[in-house]
Amino acid sequence: MLNLLYKEWKLAVHPTGYIFLSMGAMLLIPNYPYAVVFFYQTLGIFFTFMNGGATNDVFFTTLLPVRKRDVVQARLFTVIALEVLQILLAVPFAVLRCQISPTQNLAGMDANAALFGLVLVMFGVFNVVFLPLFYRSGYKTGTPYLLAVLAMTVVVVAAEAVIQLTPALKQTLDTTAYHPLQMAVLAAGVLLYAVLNLAAYRLSARSFERLDL
Amino acid sequence: MDALTVSHLEKRYPSFHLRDVSFRVQPGRIMGFIGRNGAGKTTTLKSILNLVHPDSGAVQFFGLDMPAHEFAIKQRTACIFGAANYYPQSALKTIAAVYRRFYPTWDEPLYQSYLQRFGLDPNKKIRQLSQGMSIKFALTLALSHHAELLILDEPTSGLDPVSRDELLHIFEDIVDREGASIFFSTHITSDLDKNADNITYIQNGHIIASGDKDAFVASYRKVEGRSEDLPPALKERIIGLHERKGEFSGLLRAADAAGANGLAVTPADLESIMVCTERG
Repeated sequence: MLNLLYKEWKLAVHPTGYIFLSMGAMLLIPNYPYAVVFFYQTLGIFFTFMNGGATNDVFFTTLLPVRKRDVVQARLFTVIALEVLQILLAVPFAVLRCQISPTQNLAGMDANAALFGLVLVMFGVFNVVFLPLFYRSGYKTGTPYLLAVLAMTVVVVAAEAVIQLTPALKQTLDTTAYHPLQMAVLAAGVLLYAVLNLAAYRLSARSFERLDL
Repeated sequence: MDALTVSHLEKRYPSFHLRDVSFRVQPGRIMGFIGRNGAGKTTTLKSILNLVHPDSGAVQFFGLDMPAHEFAIKQRTACIFGAANYYPQSALKTIAAVYRRFYPTWDEPLYQSYLQRFGLDPNKKIRQLSQGMSIKFALTLALSHHAELLILDEPTSGLDPVSRDELLHIFEDIVDREGASIFFSTHITSDLDKNADNITYIQNGHIIASGDKDAFVASYRKVEGRSEDLPPALKERIIGLHERKGEFSGLLRAADAAGANGLAVTPADLESIMVCTERG
């Protein structure tokens, strides 16, 4: 598995995957829909898969002494690393944002722990739609990406709507001040992210094992 | 124990059917896999490597079942499908650094010697290589981890005659020195005339011959002469008869060649056998 991960970072990850890691700095913008900051990384992931088509990544990899499910697992770990790294790199900016400008974000949720919980769910939904659809063909990226972004958007917009329209949630989750419920949302996000990734792996590995290359 | 045993492999596509494919590659032997474009060579290779899922049949490498022992089998095998047409923006040394990690038997000095022998600069990117050089790089990787079986799809297509000759000598060397086996598909039959021990011939998804090359070639004769000298009974038996301007040429089974008195009968080679068989 380590060898496959080495291959991913050495040959497969598209440079935009690294560039979009820095998008966490956008949390410093006083009024902005912060979920969009994290949407950029799904583009970095998309480019990595799309670039794989141009570089014959799947074919090179499957000829190596590896099982097809290992190929899927290594790619999923890489995707998770890109997503989690982006969140971790965004945390200092979220803290800074609350320190230097404690005014409320008028364009959506504030940069707090609950936002990161929501973003984890958003990434989880993206992964569980995008990866299994991609591994049905091993090369088609366009439709899987569109559907994954659509699913992700629906979840984020719904979550934002519920928070904005429910006064109790708005007061506790959409604020720069700390509230224990934010940590609960983060914990739920971590749990859901893990479950969705497990499902993404199982569905993708099953599709890819069946695929004739 | 055979390096590779393929038994009754079947794979059905809407427009193509791989039918009852069976053959074996013995240890220390070079097996040529011939057939015209679209005959099913690559599909067969992909099926035995589990890249394509056969509908039925069995594949064993070194006595181990595929796909149950896929991981162990692939470590002892080297496969190339044509040129190194992957990661065009990456340097050869970067790709080699990744590739070598997957093979515990990787031999760095051997790898370096192949780089030198083929004139490959490890700092170059794949996209800077010509087709021929790119094939050489793919071969360099495949040859550098002491694989017990090399499975090569069209390894000589796109190479100049000197490089092809050099490669064929390397194949012989690997078989003689390391006791490895080689199974390679090609439509350049003259390469096989030079160094194959065995031949498997696939036509339209079906194996029509598999066995010793010399015996296979010896079972045919080339025949040519003037059309008026060709007895009607013999004409019916000629495989791939071609007539033009009162002259004819074709192929006969060795047993039928006795009746070809007065005609030019010469030993056949793989190309004439394949061309005449496909002509029908």
